[in-house]
Order: sequence, then C-alpha cells, then structure tokens
Amino acid sequence: MTRDVVRFEHGSRVPGWDDAVDLTKDPAQIPDPATTPVPPELRAQIEEYMSRYPDRRSAALPALRAAQNHHTYCSPEAVDQVACVMRVTPAYLAALTTFYDMLETEPKGTHAVYVCTNISCSLNGAEELYEAFQEAIGEDPDINLRTFECLGACDIAPMASVDGTYIGPLAPGDAVTVRDDIKADRPVLDAKQLRHRKVVPQGDPS
Amino acid sequence: MITLTIDGREIQAPENAMLVDGAKYGDVEIPYFCYEPKLGAPVGACRMCLVEVEGIPKLQTACSTGVKDGMVVHTQTARVRDAQEGVVEFLLINHPLDCPVCDKGGECPLQDITFGWGAGTSRFIEPKRHFVKPLELSPLIAIDRERCIVCYRCVRFSQEISEDYQLVLLERGANSFVGTFDGHPYVAPFSGNIIELCPVGALTSRAYRFRARPWEVEGGGSICTLCPAQCNVEFTVRDERVLRVLARDHEDVDDGWLCDKGRFAYQAIHVDERIVEPMVREGGELRAVGWDRALETAASALAGAAGKAAGLAGGETTNEEGFLLGRLLREGLRSPHLDSRAGTPLPLALRQALAAPALAATVPDLEFAHAVLVLDCEPVDDAPILDLRLRKGVRRNGMRLAIATGRPSTLDSNAEHSVRIAPGAGGALLAALDAALGSGGDLGALAAAAGLAVDEVRTLATLLSEAGEDVVILWGERLTDGPGGAHAARALLNVARRLGLHGPQGAGLLGIPAGANGRGLAEVGVLPDAGPGLQAVETAGRPAAGIAAGLADGELSTLYLLHADPLRTHPDRTLWERALEQATVIAHESTMTETVRRYATVVFPAESYAEKEGTVTHPDGRLQRLRPAIGNPGQVRSEWRVLAELAERIGHGLGVLTGEMATGQVVEAVPFYARLTLEDIGGRGVRWQERVAASAMPEGAPGPFDLEPLPAAPAANGALRLGTFRSIWAAKEVEISPSLKFLAARQRAELSPTDAERLGVEHGEPVEVVHDGASVHAIAAVRANLPAGTVFLEEATATEPVNILTDGEQRLVQVRRP
Amino acid sequence: MTALLFENIDEEGLNTLEVYERRGGYRSLPKALAMTRDEVLDTLVESGLRGRGGAGFSMGKKASFLPKTDMEKYLVCNADESEPGAFKDRELMQKNPHQLIEGIMIGAYAAGANRAFIFIRGEYDFQADILEAAVAEAYEAGYAGERILDSEHTITLVVHRGAGAYICGEETALLDGLEGKRGSPRLKPPFPANQGLYQGPTLINNVETLCNVPHIIRLGVEGFTKHGVEGSRGTKVVSVSGNVQRPGNYEVELGTPSRNIIYGLAGGPPEGREVKFWFPGGSSAPILTGDDLDLPYDFDSMAKAGSMLGSGSIIVIDDSNAVLDVALKVAKFYRHESCGKCTPCREGTNWTVKMLERIERGEATPMDLEIMAGVQERIIGNCLCVLGDSMAMPIGSMIKKFRDEFEAHIERARAEADGGPVPEPSALVGVAGAEPGPYPSTADAED
Repeated sequence: MTRDVVRFEHGSRVPGWDDAVDLTKDPAQIPDPATTPVPPELRAQIEEYMSRYPDRRSAALPALRAAQNHHTYCSPEAVDQVACVMRVTPAYLAALTTFYDMLETEPKGTHAVYVCTNISCSLNGAEELYEAFQEAIGEDPDINLRTFECLGACDIAPMASVDGTYIGPLAPGDAVTVRDDIKADRPVLDAKQLRHRKVVPQGDPS
Repeated sequence: MITLTIDGREIQAPENAMLVDGAKYGDVEIPYFCYEPKLGAPVGACRMCLVEVEGIPKLQTACSTGVKDGMVVHTQTARVRDAQEGVVEFLLINHPLDCPVCDKGGECPLQDITFGWGAGTSRFIEPKRHFVKPLELSPLIAIDRERCIVCYRCVRFSQEISEDYQLVLLERGANSFVGTFDGHPYVAPFSGNIIELCPVGALTSRAYRFRARPWEVEGGGSICTLCPAQCNVEFTVRDERVLRVLARDHEDVDDGWLCDKGRFAYQAIHVDERIVEPMVREGGELRAVGWDRALETAASALAGAAGKAAGLAGGETTNEEGFLLGRLLREGLRSPHLDSRAGTPLPLALRQALAAPALAATVPDLEFAHAVLVLDCEPVDDAPILDLRLRKGVRRNGMRLAIATGRPSTLDSNAEHSVRIAPGAGGALLAALDAALGSGGDLGALAAAAGLAVDEVRTLATLLSEAGEDVVILWGERLTDGPGGAHAARALLNVARRLGLHGPQGAGLLGIPAGANGRGLAEVGVLPDAGPGLQAVETAGRPAAGIAAGLADGELSTLYLLHADPLRTHPDRTLWERALEQATVIAHESTMTETVRRYATVVFPAESYAEKEGTVTHPDGRLQRLRPAIGNPGQVRSEWRVLAELAERIGHGLGVLTGEMATGQVVEAVPFYARLTLEDIGGRGVRWQERVAASAMPEGAPGPFDLEPLPAAPAANGALRLGTFRSIWAAKEVEISPSLKFLAARQRAELSPTDAERLGVEHGEPVEVVHDGASVHAIAAVRANLPAGTVFLEEATATEPVNILTDGEQRLVQVRRP
Repeated sequence: MTALLFENIDEEGLNTLEVYERRGGYRSLPKALAMTRDEVLDTLVESGLRGRGGAGFSMGKKASFLPKTDMEKYLVCNADESEPGAFKDRELMQKNPHQLIEGIMIGAYAAGANRAFIFIRGEYDFQADILEAAVAEAYEAGYAGERILDSEHTITLVVHRGAGAYICGEETALLDGLEGKRGSPRLKPPFPANQGLYQGPTLINNVETLCNVPHIIRLGVEGFTKHGVEGSRGTKVVSVSGNVQRPGNYEVELGTPSRNIIYGLAGGPPEGREVKFWFPGGSSAPILTGDDLDLPYDFDSMAKAGSMLGSGSIIVIDDSNAVLDVALKVAKFYRHESCGKCTPCREGTNWTVKMLERIERGEATPMDLEIMAGVQERIIGNCLCVLGDSMAMPIGSMIKKFRDEFEAHIERARAEADGGPVPEPSALVGVAGAEPGPYPSTADAED
C-alpha cells in the first residue's frame, strides 16, 4: 500500500513570496508632503512620538500602531502617511509591519482577539478554547480573531487578549459572552479580567 | 604587520585586518557569504566563517574578529568543519540547486563554498519550498527567491550604501524575503549593484539572463565614458558583443560601484539604430557610401572652408580625438573656432588658477574631508558615483556636508546645512561667503543677491571654517557657465584662499565638468582661447555660442561635430537650428541624433566606448586608459584615424599612424602630461598632479580679487525664475538601450506648492512653460521642498527641449495650463 | 516569608505615587543621589545581584562596564517579557510601577545615563498605560526629568511600546527595536555597554533586576545579602504555570528547593497526576524531570543540572501529556519568533519543526531522531544570538531524556499511517497509562 506523501508542494503560504513587483508603479521613495495628504490628528500624534526620541526613527513602532488604529490596518495608504510624516521610505516601514506580529498588513476587524496557544495555555485547553472562539465569532468582519504566541499571562491560562484587555482563565463557553460583550461595546468578561487578580497568597516554602 | 598562527603556521597580517582577510596573507581561505567590507561593518549573519580561536570557548565569526598579535586560530579542526558543513547544509535546505539553469553557475560563491566546505550530502528529506520564479524586481533585475540565502548584502546596499532604502527584508524568520513596499519596483540610480553583490543566483540582470556562461566569455577592462565620473568597468564580451558591464573596483575612482546607466547602457552599442557606415546627404536624404566618398566629401567641404570652419567636441571625446580635431582645425584649416563647452567661456587665467595642482582635491578626499561643500551641482545626476562617496563620508567618517544648490538635492538629508540659492546665483553665494569669511564686503547685500538670509551664509561659513583643515568644494560647471561665470570663478578662488584650501593634501576644489571628458578636452586644447596644456593661443577663436552665431550669419561655413549634439545640449536652440541650417555639417556620431538626421551633410560612424583606444582625464586629474574590448562593428573606423585621413586629404598630414602615436602627440603637447605613457597609465590611471611635470601648469590668476558688484536680478513681476537640471537619465544611450528606455527623461515642470496653488496647477497635470513666444510642454510635479519662485525643467530631454527657452542668461518664464 | 519586591503587592492603589510613598517608596533615590556614582556601583556589585532576565550576569558589574566618558549614555529597561512561561515583570509593572521607576533612576544615576527608556512588549498595553501614568507622576514630583530632586542630574524616562516580537527581548534586538528597526540581534562585540542605543554606551536591565535596586540601597549590602544563597543573592519572583493547581507569581528566596515551589506554593499537578518534566527557566531552558525536583532553585544549581534558571519561569508538564506535543509547540514558537538574520537559527528551527511534524504524521524512522539531535547540535553555539539555542537546548534535552517515548511514537504512528497492526499503548514507554488524547489523528490525511 502506498502513501500519498506531499513531497513537492508548489507555491507558498507566505504572502509576497510569489509576487513580482508591478512594473507600472513608480519606485516608492519618501512620500512628498505636497502630494501625500495625512489626517491632521494622525500627523500630530506621530510628530509627538518623534519628539520623544533623539532619533525620529525610534517613533516608527508607535507611529505605525497609531496609523493602524486610524486605518484599522497598516494599509499601503497608512504606511505612506507615516512615511511622509517620519521622512522615511515606505519600504523602511514595510520591513517593520511584516516583522512585528501586532501590525496587520491585511484588512482586519477593528477588535483584536488574541487567543494564546503557547505551552501553558495549551496544556490547559487553549486549542478547544480557540475552536470555541472560531465558532462564536465566525466570519464577523469587526473582529480580528487569531492565535497568538505567549502573551505573558500563563497564570490565567487559558487566556485571551481582547483589544489589550487580558481575560482568563477561560472556558470554551466564555467565547460567546466575549463576542457579545465586544458587540455591545461593554467591558469584556469583567469578572475574569486580569486587573482584578491578586498575587496568590504567599506561603513560606520551608 | 602582526604575527598570528593559523592552522599551525605563523603568518604575518596587517594590524587592523579582520581574520578572513588576515588569513589570506597565509594562503588560508575562510569561506563567507555575508561579509563584504564595502557594505560597512560586518553583520555576522551567514555564520559561514566560524573558526576556533584559542582562549575563546565559542566558535567565532572570522569576518568580525580582528587579528591580534599572538592569536592562535584553527580553521580545519573537526569542530570547525562540522560547523561549516552545518551552515552549508542549512543553506541548501531551501536552495533549489538548479545550477544547470542558473546564470550564476560557474561564478557562484555558493557553488564554490558547497564544493569546498560542504559535506557533499544532505540529511534534509522534507519537501523543498518552491515558488514562482523568476520574478521581476524591477525592469532591470529579476529575483529568484528560492535561491536566496538571506545574506543581507542587497538590502544593506540599498539601506546603507545608496541609502535609497527601497529594498528591504520583509516578514521574519524562515519566511524572510527580499522585497519592496507594496509591489513597487526597485528603481534607483544604483540598483544594479545588487546583482553583482548577490553571492547566489537570486538577483540576476534581466538584460544578461541566459546570454552566456562564465566559461564562454572574456572580460575587457576599460573606462565608462558616459559621464565625468569615469568609473572603471569590465566589459563581459562574447563573440564581439558586450553582454554585461561589471565594476572594476578602483577605490580612488568608483569604490567598486556603478550606476545603472553605466551598468546597462552598454546595450546602446549593439542596437539597430547604431550608425555603422559612413553616409552622405544626397537629395536631402542621408545615404550610405563608402569611406572614400565620405572622406572626400568632408575633406573638400573642409578645404573650402579654411578659416571659416569650426568644431565642437562632445563629452565622450577622448583626449587624442579632441587634440587631433584641434590640430585639424587650427593647423590644417587655420580656424581657431573650437569648443568643448556649451556655456560662456571662462577667462583662461582663471581656468588655469582653478586647475592649480595645489588646489586639486581627489575623489577619496570627498570621503575623508572634514567638510565638503556641494556647490551648484547634483552629484547623483552630474557624476553619480560621487553621490555614494559623499554618503559614505558622512556615514562612516563623520564628514560634515553642506549643500548650496538651486534645486533640492538628494543629499539634503545627509547634510548638516543646506541652502537654496536662486538659479545662477552660485557666484553671488560665494561672494557672500567670501564676505562672511572676512573679505569685508557687505554681507547683507551679498546674501540678498544670492537669495539668502545673512544667517544662512554665516552658518555655512562657520561650518566650513571650523570643521577642520580638510575642506573640499565640489562644484559643477553650471557655476561658471553663465554670464556671471568669471565673477563666480573669482569668488570661488577667494573662498578657497580664505579657507586655506591650497595647502593641505586632503583639501581643495573638485569641479565636475558637464561632459564626461570635459577636463581632458580643456587640457588638450579644445577651447576657443587655449591650446594644449591650457596655454594661450595666438588667435582666440569663437566659443560655442559664437560659432552658432557665425554659422547662422554666414561668417563661418562648415561645422565639425565630434560626438557633439548642440540641439540637445547647447543653449539657444533656435539659433542653433538656424546655424545648422546654413552650415555644412560633418558629424561623427554613433546614433541617429536629431542633429544628424536633420542637418548632417557627411556622417562618420563613431566608435562606442567599448571599441575605443585612448585616454580620458578624470575631473580630479587622473588620466585613464580606454582599451578596446570588442572590434568595431560594420565599417566603423577609429576617430583618430578618420581625423588623420581628413588632415592628409587637405594636405596637412598629422603624422599619426596608430592610436598610441596619437597619445604620444598629446603628452608631448601638454607640458604637464609630459612623458606619460599608456603603460604608466595602465589599468589604474595616473593623476598628473602627482607627477613632477605638474609644475608646468601655468599659474594663471589666483587672486585674491576685489569682486565687482553683481547686477541686480530682474524683477519677477509674477513670473517664475527658470532653473534647469540635467538628470542622470537624460542621455541618448538611455533612450536607445532596450532595458533602460523606461527611465529616459521626460519633460516635467517642478513647482513649489505655493506657486502651484497660485497658478491653479495640480500635481500631474500638463502645463506650458513660456518665454518670449517659445513654449515647452511639461507635466507639473509639485514638490514640497522646492523654493517658491522658481520652476525647474529638465535639460537634454528627447522631446520638449528646454534650450528653446534659454540662451545662457537667467530667464523669467510664465507657467500656465495649456 | 520574605517579600521584598512583592511587599504590599496587592494593596489597592500601590501603583500610585501617593501609596508608594506612604509605603516607604522613593526614599532610596535621594539616598543614592547623596552617594557618589562609584559608591552606588560598588553597592550594586557587592550586593551580588544577578540579572533576572535570563543570563544571570552581575548587574553591578554590567553597569560598571560603561565607559566613564561624558558621551551620552543610556539606560534601557527590558520589559519585553515574552518568554513562554514568564509573567513576573507584568505583575511588577502593573502592581508597583514606581518601584521600577525608582530602580531605573538609581541605575541611570549609577551608570551616568541621562536618558532612560522602558521597552515594554506591545501586548502589555494595560501595564504600559499604568507605567506611563506613573512616569508622569514621577516627573511631576521631581523624581524624573530635569534636575531630579533638585540635584544636578537630569534623567528622562520614556515608555516605549513594542509591537509583537519575542526576539526584542534579546538585548541588542531590543536596541534595534527601540531605534525603530526590525528587531534583529546585532553582532557582539561591540557590546551595548560600549556601543548600544544610538551607538552610545547603554546599560540594559530587566524589570525585576531594576526593581531590586531600591531595596539594595535601602537595606545596604549586608541587609540584602541576607537573602538567597552564595552566588544567588536576593529573592526571585518565580512564575509557575502549566499543569499546576495554583499558577502564579511567587517571590522566593533563591536556593529554595524546587519541590517546595512547584508543590508547596503552586500546589503541584492536578490530583492523580505526576510531574513528568518541567522547564525551570521558561521554554528555552533544557527540561528537568521529576527526579530533579529536590534541586535548590538558584542560578548555579540549575546550571549544574544541565539547565538554567533563566527568567525564573517554571512550566510544569504532567504525565497526561506527550513530550512530542510540547516539543512541537516549543519548536514552532521559536520558528515563528526567529528573526531570520543568521543561518542556523532561521533554517534550523524550520527544519526541526518539519521533522517533528513528520514524526507526528507517522512518516519518520528512529534515524530521524538522530538527525534531529544532530541538527540541534549544529545550532547550539553557532548562532548570532541565543534564540536558536533556546530551541535547540530544550529540544535536544527532550530527545535525550525521552528518546524511548519518541521512538515508541514513531513506531506507533507509522503503523497507524500504514494501516498495519498498531502496537499496544503499553509499549509506549514514559506515557504508560496515558489517555488517548495526546496523539493527534494522523489517519485523516491518508486514504
């Protein structure tokens, strides 16, 4: 009996690997402020970030996150705007948006639900939890559901981060409540938020 | 030199060398991929060069470990071999090993290192990754991401050498790949260098792909004469065709880089448009004729024009060709009218003073100076490779850069201080600088004449006077081109004197001429008022503008154009059209320029730079040697031979039977080139200033000068000042090279946002630039950092030529929607 | 029971300046400013405080490596806590941000730095907000900024948020991240102490390390060294998670027996389960087994046992889990987080994942274990930074300590995939009595 072993799969799952450039486009240089409109509040925010550092480029990550908040993801337009204010090339920033996990390069829902699936959460049922989230959220365009590497809250495993708010330990049944809270614009699963958690009573190990 | 032990043998190596380089002194090769000293500090990414250093527990990267006296290094131990085999194994995991169909095959470091340091087998049995390939990275470069070993060389080049920062690594980890932003092509003046840097076949030249295998080609070293930078190149030749141009690293000239024009314009050598036979105009049409007929026609035209003949030499003319043209006209026809420049002539005494050996700066000086002032030139357009040198100086050596130009410079962001002067106000700026440095002039008035605030001039003066003793002023021919050229030259000499640039080795002036061999042509006597060696001639001839006027009104009758195309490069196109209409035109050209097509009476096919033999002189005085890499196509004959034959036919033999004899005559005639031989020049060139004969250079008028007040600039009255610039891509070679065509300069009108708004003009819409009834159509380009009050147009474009609006004087123009 | 860093940790409002001061906070800073820089440095060196971020290097020595020139120097607090299993810095920043700020100010003073940054991982938005509020309070009260506490010292402090990259926890990658670049490690030397942030001399310390500083100044060398054991002075906040009943952060004296932490404090595995193996210092530490539970929990003991204390994060895996699942999780994590700059890490993590997946699918032979172990050996010590080692060391230790279980799995999964007779589960050494859960069905993919 032979087994169907997939030996040579063509194509790649990495976006961009198989893409040529578009030869009809102009090279992407530092955008000219005369022809690159930037929303004033975004500009002000980026300029404030730049003022915090001795080198303006240090503001790249905060600036991109601000642009992501403004545009829902780091769209080419958003990157162009940041590049224009920061006086760097858009490629400089594209190198960052694709490197850092929290920067999205494809259109995503405005609400981020990160489900930790690293070791400790996984040992405590993270996979089942993620499946429950998938079922509860479905194709909801407002919610960006994704698995995430260790979020630094193994004490509440399995856990999730909803727009930066950590909740856990979660049971699969919590997924629906979380979705409803997000949709209703309520604090998410307030009782299980990390901020309420006390450091466990200290005992003397001896 | 220090002593260290590698693999049990004591070797001597220079003190500051990295181990990979030091080991070579003991004939030990340590393999590496990512290390490339030209790209800056080592990054230690590929891990191929791991070696054992006694006293250090972990293996060390030899690319980043400096040699030390008494150091004991092992490169052949089991541990080192295992690490090296490991890295090769890792690198080949996802490499397709498609060497039989890879352009790099045969000249591929990955192949060589796999053979030399790999285990010969792999334990990797998972499916390899496969991608669509090759993909376009730009119209010039193909990328094969399967082959990429992520060595970082290309992205480091883009980020740290050319600083265009268009090419980056995207994604991370095993997903990392080389790419650009949002599918934009990587198009930048120096992009082609990444092909040569790539240690595998991941980046290939689209023009060279599958044209040849390394064992089928031969290399011919020569000089690129497409611009004054005169980079050293190696032509890759197969079957008498140039298939590729590679850098021939010369740290005193090009630092091992090439611009894309230099790298890809070789295609112009082999295009169908190339003129390969002599032609004569018959019944209004140019017809191919034999050499005899063409020479006879030209000779009789010239003989009949004794005293009324004139000649123009274009920038790519060699010293020998220019010199022989001078002899033909001056001696053979008693016509002193010849020029190699387009602008107003500079008084000879000033020209001599500017060329003084004590004032001459070299290309490496740009890198190691304490400060450099870039004055009235745009290096990336005027001598591209110098742009990289300046960036390197700022980045690596802390050189302080100042810019004084009319149009925003691509180097502005590297500069400590940039000032925007009005077009043509370079001299005014220098006069103001002279005052700020202590001449006693009225700084306020002088600064205003340059269109600057007093503080801007003061800051510039402080920067230059306090940076240190090594200060270089890099100036463009534009500075002395106009009617105020003599004033600007005097002011420049004054400033040089005040900054003490005559003394120190690393200080001085470096002028970029408009033509590739502009310096050489001036020095061999292709000037109206100077013969070989910048020596005064008895009867001064007419400069270019005067030749045009003379031809137009019939005082001159015959014009010899040696690689010159006045309709394209000279101001006052209308006058030139009338002149060419009237004249008998003998053109020595390689392609069908507008001048040839419309006006030439006799056309001689010219050699391309890959076919030429002779010398050129670099802007810093380095004589460099052209060697033929390929034979002449069709009936093409060497220019020196044609000039010699013409002279023969008009009864004035020049005594030149070989190219070397022509060179011999040049060095004999130019006192400060005395006794140079082609052998001396060799493959690396010789700076004449560094030879004893340099003292034969006439001193001229070194100043100091009392600067006469400048005439007031005309009132604008709602009009805009016209500024012009010549882009790196404004060249006929770019237009006819199939792969470079897309870069050919198109006319655009650069406007400041203020002016655009006032005129109601939007970015990207067509506009008309008008002066005195003549107009140029252009696409509006609104740029935020452009100074208000000036519109910039491109020179030397194939269509919509700006020289229809100019005659050398400053122009005020109207910009309007058509 | 000692509590240095965790003293009053659950008190309402400890994150505010008012409560922190009321509890004795910001008394060490003026004390330190009254000392000379060298005195502060000496105190730190003599305290024996070792870095709590992973490497365990003497904090005082590290600070004293900075050149004593007047060029601009920097202090960077590494709050990019991303190691799987680590969550102690989060607690310290969220509950007691001023303790950290005070430590930073003293550290910066000692190092001669005028600018300090806290690089906090982007996911810790809540904690970053708290820190920013606390920094604003500290500025207001004159503990930070121009001429702190009316001295001639100016120390600015900026909270810098990352955007999701484990590698930024590596100190030179962190500097690149802070400079607004991809977080790729730099070649060392030059070390950050000579050429770090913006090419200036830079002291980089972990959150917990800096939180210790005010206590060292307060207690003096003698008072501080009463805690811990020789070579591992002070207390340690240990994050315990995984298969334990009371996961959380525990502050213990260094040298406490590991069993007391895992069982005594964290309650041990659920009823009826045994500790199968554990990571003593986050997922990058080579694993230890149930046999190692009586080792004292300190830097040197863990190193002697072939592992490391690392960031002090214990992940406990009980006997209901298969080692292959954990190995795959670990390898996938490091593949995801490898920056891609150096060859062995970029390719080695990827290759390891592919081999483990093949084992899981039932397409491997025991020879593949040899290859996998060999690949780990070729990664260890040959990379630009320690990320590659962080995968290779635990994976290598798993193969070494659970080879029988891997081999049993290989046989079983192959037999299943081939449709032949499946060996009895009893043949699975090390997972005897395991529930059927851990083995993912590989049969689906086949016909």
